[in-house]
Amino acid sequence: MNKSYSVLPCNGLDKCAGCVSKEVALLLTEETDSKIICPVFYRVADAKYNKLLQETPLLVIDGCATRCASKLAAEKNLKITQKINISEEAKAAGLTLSDSLRIGDTEKKLAENLVKKLIEKERTRTENESSEATESEATESEATESETTDHVTTKKEAYEIYKKDKFVFRLPKKEGFYFNENDVWAYVTGRKARIGVTDYAQKSLSDIMFFTPPAIGAEIEQFEEAGNIESGKAVFEIISPVSGRITAINESLLEAPELINQNPYEEGWIAELELTDFESDKELLHSFEGYFQVMKRKVDEFHV
Amino acid sequence: MSESTFMGVPRDQIDWSPRIDYDKCNYCMECVEFCPHQVFEVHEEEEQKFVVKNPNNCVVFCRACGKTCGVDAIDFPNKADTTKHIKEIRKEMGENE
Ligand code: SF4
Ligand code: SF4
Repeated sequence: MNKSYSVLPCNGLDKCAGCVSKEVALLLTEETDSKIICPVFYRVADAKYNKLLQETPLLVIDGCATRCASKLAAEKNLKITQKINISEEAKAAGLTLSDSLRIGDTEKKLAENLVKKLIEKERTRTENESSEATESEATESEATESETTDHVTTKKEAYEIYKKDKFVFRLPKKEGFYFNENDVWAYVTGRKARIGVTDYAQKSLSDIMFFTPPAIGAEIEQFEEAGNIESGKAVFEIISPVSGRITAINESLLEAPELINQNPYEEGWIAELELTDFESDKELLHSFEGYFQVMKRKVDEFHV
Repeated sequence: MSESTFMGVPRDQIDWSPRIDYDKCNYCMECVEFCPHQVFEVHEEEEQKFVVKNPNNCVVFCRACGKTCGVDAIDFPNKADTTKHIKEIRKEMGENE
């Protein structure tokens, strides 16, 4: 039987990309058992879809960077399993969407290709899930067994705290932690580093719903993007504090990006790198003291 | 605005902000809507419908709005050059202390 999604398209009627989102949703219902959630109806009366949403994985289709569908999902606290953005996909495929609100051949082709990809993804995802269930022990030990892991496990006392209203911002004091002003940390041990976002980044985004990891094996320069995270509010580019080659990503974030909200310094880490030029990277990084000042300033300005 | 700094360097000494190629731009305004830092200013009535009004509000090394542009009309300064420049200024500042 075909794998199915509950599909939440943005359905934006005044933009070509929005109209393509609708086409993708339609094709999915024709080729699989997927069901469409009408974003307009859902906003005013969600009861109709609650059962469906509990039973099937959610696919969110955004048309453009305004990401109305993602925002709606965030508002309703939905867990997103899969997500695509039509404008980004079009760009990746080297296509320019027309201005017309009726979709043409280009848009139709794009929609068909996307649907193929989505069906394939859902198939591999469910296969992985079932194989994970049987091998859960093996994968679990794999997930925790990573060279820098043990050292990072920081105790409560290891954090300095800055309070503002009801918000508490933590910052690890531990030696080996470095920070850039883009609110990303690196924990360096020898020639390796683990990176992640700071409490400030995590709190200003609020509930993180999506994690796009950097590619394993990718060579990244200092201040280049190493993936991104996304909440209902915004997309946050993870700007790497260090240069190096990505050796691992935190796979548990793919299923549970909210771990970043729980503790971005421990279970919410992002990726690990093999360092290439840390001596030089260090010149543009803060240690705990420096970033703590930066963070305080940012926190104070944020609530203005 | 001396309080605005990046790695101790006054922000206005760092040249980092989006460069818009208005020949390519189709004024979809995605970039303007995307950025939360008041970098852009909308000029509804004019032919060039928006400008990079506050380049120093742009987060150094952020390139996020560039990705929203479907026609690749947004470019940024060279990252390696910028990094080098920041390091040089820091060095000068250190020497002058
Ligand atoms: S690069 Fe980032 S901060 Fe700068 S204008 Fe674009 S989105 Fe705004
Ligand atoms: S996203 Fe690109 S095309 Fe759209 S307004 Fe900005 S620069 Fe112009």
